[in-house]
Amino acid sequence: MARYVLRRILLLPLSLFLLSLVCFGLRQITPGDQVISLMSKDEARLANDNPAGFDLAYHRAAQTLGLDRPTFYFSIYNGALPDTLHRITRAQERAMLRTFTLRSGNWPGVQQYYHELKRLAYRVENDPAITPVIRRLLIQDNFENAATSLQRLTGRPETAALQEAFDRLQSRDRAVTLLLPAFSWHGTDNQYHHWAGKLLSGDFGSSLVDRRPVATKIRAAAGVTILINGLALLLVYLISIPLGLYTAGSRGSWFDRLTTVGLFILFGVPSFWLATLLTNYFTTPAFNMDFFPSMGLGELPEGASWWTTLRIRASHLFLPVVCMAYPSWAYVTRHLRRSAVHELNQAYIKTARLKGLSRSTILWRHVLRNASFPIITLLGGIFPALLAGSVLIERIFNLPGMGQLLYTSAIERDWPVVITLVLLNGILTAFGLLIADLGYRLADPRIRLSSPQNAAT
Amino acid sequence: MKRSNWFRRLAIAWLGGLLLVAVFGDFLANDRPLIAKIEGELRFPVLHQYGEDLGLVEGYQPTVRNWYRLQPDWALWPPIPYIAGASDVKNGNYRSPFAEQNTGERARHYLGTDKLGRDVFAGLIAGARVSVIVGIGALLISLLLGIPLGGVAGFFGNNALSGTRAFWWGWSVGGSLGILYAAINLLPFFRLTGFFSTALLLLFGFIAGGLLLVGLLRLFPPMRKAMNFPADTFVLQGVELFVNIPGLVLLIALLAIINRPSIWLVALIIGVLRWTYVARYLRAEMLRIRSLPYIDAARISGIGRWRILFRHALPNALGPIIVVSCFGLGGAILLEAFLSFLGIGIPANQVTWGSLLGQSRSHPSAWWMALFPGMLLTLTVLAANLLGERE
Repeated sequence: MARYVLRRILLLPLSLFLLSLVCFGLRQITPGDQVISLMSKDEARLANDNPAGFDLAYHRAAQTLGLDRPTFYFSIYNGALPDTLHRITRAQERAMLRTFTLRSGNWPGVQQYYHELKRLAYRVENDPAITPVIRRLLIQDNFENAATSLQRLTGRPETAALQEAFDRLQSRDRAVTLLLPAFSWHGTDNQYHHWAGKLLSGDFGSSLVDRRPVATKIRAAAGVTILINGLALLLVYLISIPLGLYTAGSRGSWFDRLTTVGLFILFGVPSFWLATLLTNYFTTPAFNMDFFPSMGLGELPEGASWWTTLRIRASHLFLPVVCMAYPSWAYVTRHLRRSAVHELNQAYIKTARLKGLSRSTILWRHVLRNASFPIITLLGGIFPALLAGSVLIERIFNLPGMGQLLYTSAIERDWPVVITLVLLNGILTAFGLLIADLGYRLADPRIRLSSPQNAAT
Repeated sequence: MKRSNWFRRLAIAWLGGLLLVAVFGDFLANDRPLIAKIEGELRFPVLHQYGEDLGLVEGYQPTVRNWYRLQPDWALWPPIPYIAGASDVKNGNYRSPFAEQNTGERARHYLGTDKLGRDVFAGLIAGARVSVIVGIGALLISLLLGIPLGGVAGFFGNNALSGTRAFWWGWSVGGSLGILYAAINLLPFFRLTGFFSTALLLLFGFIAGGLLLVGLLRLFPPMRKAMNFPADTFVLQGVELFVNIPGLVLLIALLAIINRPSIWLVALIIGVLRWTYVARYLRAEMLRIRSLPYIDAARISGIGRWRILFRHALPNALGPIIVVSCFGLGGAILLEAFLSFLGIGIPANQVTWGSLLGQSRSHPSAWWMALFPGMLLTLTVLAANLLGERE
């Protein structure tokens, strides 16, 4: 038992490490330039009349974000590429340099081409025929497109050196260098190390959208989500445990059959459809049936008594909690009934009945414990569901919880928030599974906790 | 028992019907006639479009932009003469199925229209196609990953895949290094960009790297000792790492950053997230089958182990797997509807059941836009659940 818990807890960091790699990778491939959004407006405006100054400002901004560091602890790359490519901070220029080098295998040649481009781009006098083309060439990573653009510049004395450098890249006499692989070790001064270190020390960064700290935003949203999920969980257990046991006890009766069919159908009804119907019919005046207040948590008047508070909150939370609860409710009742029916056929139940125990004692004392697997499964799954299930319900009912936060941040590509939420959810998922496994073990000490088999369903 | 069989048949019929609608959707709802006679010439506009898309035939001359305005001698239109996503300005602003509609000689919008006059029925048919693609695509991918992994893990366990140390280490390390070398060095050298040539080159890298390292390692005597490949441990650890990943949350994060969303990508990601269910279930099933007498009998008669696995053990496990995957089918379809309801991961111009439902939220009194897609979705999920229910 202790060994199992220890093993699971030791495996947790590995899972989280992999998850953090996934998140880091997501951040890397996200389109959009976060450096530009960090630069001040004046600096960003430099791009047109003072390219050299802009490059300097850009480089400085990228340095404060740590983007001039290598990405990871080590890199394996093509031997034709230099090992210091990460020092070029503009991602588009870096992509241009990389593709051109991987095409020709001639890094010195690419370097010359790049310097020639920079020299022409930095020239103080703006030549409308050349400068825009040059600036586009700096971020043009398609070789053929670059060739066509350059063709338009032929015959100009200023660009002769550039043409020559580009023509040299066409030849394949240095392509052999492409066949050498290279490996370099960057040590701990890399982007991933700094990012993960900050996360571990509790610094989740701040939102890209409103610059508020991520931790504050999540804390503000967590209350709503925990409230809804807590109420939903309470509702599930309050209804489904008695219902499941009762239908199992009176199996075969018309009530049991009706409930079984009804719950099967209820389980198949997508909660977002039902929620949409409920909001459309009961919270809007479209059908003259707006019994419930519309979206949100409701406004509390100043100095409201606890009764008013309860009334307003309850009227706003009733529909979301029901929509949140009913799929799990159907799930738990169905499974509890099934395993309770299985238990009722066992010999020990006959013994209990022969001893003269009442029906409710048998059901509540003996059957419930042995049939409690689905209840435990739900309890284990509730932590990850906190976020995932809340996305829809909070979207539909417009509640400012974590699900809503995840949705809006993902749409706005607010990476610090999304990544923190994904990691948080990963931790909760792992802990939920661990708790469920331990719960199975508590309910049935015969279970051997050695493989993830037990965490099934 | 009898009645449940009847329900099962109904469920199969429903899913089969959905598949037919998805395949022949273009003949059911289209903005061009099936057959038309124009100036003495017989045309098959819907079929012809397939030919044009495949590059087999040239388009009709002169090109017809709007078949509604054309006056053919006679024409046979599909039952729903509208196409999903095309707006009908005369019937805009949420026309109810029962309200007066301004369609002239053409058929009514049987299930109403949305704000821009787009036909809801045609949208449902387009949505059925998306559901089928995502459902079956995700299912196939999860089976493709789950069956080999779960089957090998359950059938061989930790002690049955024997070989020399050189063999296992050589193929696993050498193969990976070979793929890596092919990706970072050979690809740019040969300037390959096509999908198949790239895949072929990576495969070549795997085989060459594996063979090379196995050959090298054989030179060292300690590497020639026998070793069993711990297939079960590998797969179980993989499953364990995978279940800790919050699938849905990651899915939202992943799809939100993709610039060019497509339904194929959604199917791929859902399938990859679901392989553990198949693998876990098949592994348990294989543990059971492995100990059955007929497997022993096959082994004693000298049939090779891989042959036993593929010819005798796996087919026996396929029935239960198909039943379980029906559950997965319903889940994948539901997930796709969920995503398109939120407007994540599905192209903006693609009409799906979820996107219709999502639209209905902006105009609550258009009950037809909330009711019909939701009912189709519910029936499909119910049918899949019914087939996936284990007795």
